[in-house]
Amino acid sequence: MLLKILRYLRGYVRFTVVGRFPERFLNIALHNRLRIWDVERSSGTLSACMYMRDYRSVRHYARKAGVRLRLTEKKGLPRLLSRYSDRSGLIFGAAAFVITIFVMSLFVWSIDVTGLSTISESELRQMLKENGVYVGAFLPAIDDSTVSRSVMLSDPRVGWMAVNVTGSYISVEIKEESPSPEVEDLSKPCNVKARRDGRIIRVEAQQGRCDLKEGSGVVEGQVIVSGVLEDQLGGLRLVHAKASVIAETTYHADFTIPKTMTVYHPTGEVKDRLSADLFGLDLPLTIGGVHTVDHLSDEIVESPAPLDVTLPISLNTRRVYALEELEKSLDYNSAKELLLKESRLYELFTLAPCTVLKRDYDFTATDDGFKLSVDYTCSEDIAVQDGIGTQ
Amino acid sequence: MSNQKQQKRRFMGELPPMRTLPCIEFSGNREVVIEGSRGVLEYSTDCIRVNTDGMVLSLNGRGLNLRCISDSSLIIEGFITNVEFIV
Repeated sequence: MLLKILRYLRGYVRFTVVGRFPERFLNIALHNRLRIWDVERSSGTLSACMYMRDYRSVRHYARKAGVRLRLTEKKGLPRLLSRYSDRSGLIFGAAAFVITIFVMSLFVWSIDVTGLSTISESELRQMLKENGVYVGAFLPAIDDSTVSRSVMLSDPRVGWMAVNVTGSYISVEIKEESPSPEVEDLSKPCNVKARRDGRIIRVEAQQGRCDLKEGSGVVEGQVIVSGVLEDQLGGLRLVHAKASVIAETTYHADFTIPKTMTVYHPTGEVKDRLSADLFGLDLPLTIGGVHTVDHLSDEIVESPAPLDVTLPISLNTRRVYALEELEKSLDYNSAKELLLKESRLYELFTLAPCTVLKRDYDFTATDDGFKLSVDYTCSEDIAVQDGIGTQ
Repeated sequence: MSNQKQQKRRFMGELPPMRTLPCIEFSGNREVVIEGSRGVLEYSTDCIRVNTDGMVLSLNGRGLNLRCISDSSLIIEGFITNVEFIV
């Protein structure tokens, strides 16, 4: 097989020997160190193969042996190249293809991340980018162990990480660090105090002494469950008081809105901007945009992934919507609706740990705009531990 | 060479020195490798005669073919029916 490849690369010819004594030609050629193979005899002629370069100098021996040579076939790479020598584009194309494949294999084509739970993928990709791992990065410059060590040091949430380079594809496996549980120091004496003003609904004291009853009012900082216990002999003992104090608390919030407000409204003009992403390089394919300064856009990324392998090429379509500023005057109902929405958001985010029991709305129209005052009645755990000690 | 040495060589199964003799290796009757040839005297599909030092090796058969040939060795393949040493 190897011999066949070598013969093909060097190029060879098949020829026939016509004459009375073709054996004599064979002997003379072989004595002159010429290589001959596949010698076949048929119907008075002898055919054989010889390297193309040797064939040029073999005429002299044929004359000496009294035979005539006839070239029947040329084979091998030199023959192929000479056949396509006038079609230089074909040769250049093949060479360009090989070079392109070689060059492209030196860059990162795609990165796959597995094992994330609390860290977002974009966050991790940003960290990897800071350490030189991104689509389009030069592969020989990436040291996988250095990258994983650096990311683990920069973010304590990353417990373990491995960067596996397979050809032009990088797979990142990550194991997040489990947070260590908070250990309560039970030997440290403390009281349970009120975190804010309220009326006690229920006290569940696990340790300590509670003198307050249900329905009692407490102010912020007041001791609810005491960590100082008195025994039957009148001695004092300090304990780590622990309790859950559910109390009724109140919150007040004001929301205002002006009578006229500026809103952005779509004009109806939409423009698609196409761009190609090649190895992280953004190449715009269309020019121009919308005629307004203010705009809103969304982006669709189409990336080919044959056989589940993401290629470093993508077509990005950014749809831009033109917006215009409009002065909008609010009427009573629409203002009320907007303020109610705002109050619900306040409940959702600010009063998240509480259970809202009651809401008292007061909606008024002022000279400047509208105002919504809300009084919330909530139930929540107001217990907070405060250590007993000397200052 | 002393008589003792000759006896020892015979005992060890060694061959006498073959500096001038051809080395012929048969694979059944389908292939022959000849090392130490001096040239091909006759070549046809029925008969191949090879000059070796001091004798002519004649091979008869059917579909004989010179698969590989160099100045001192050759490989013949085909269906060999008769081998003759002409001294």
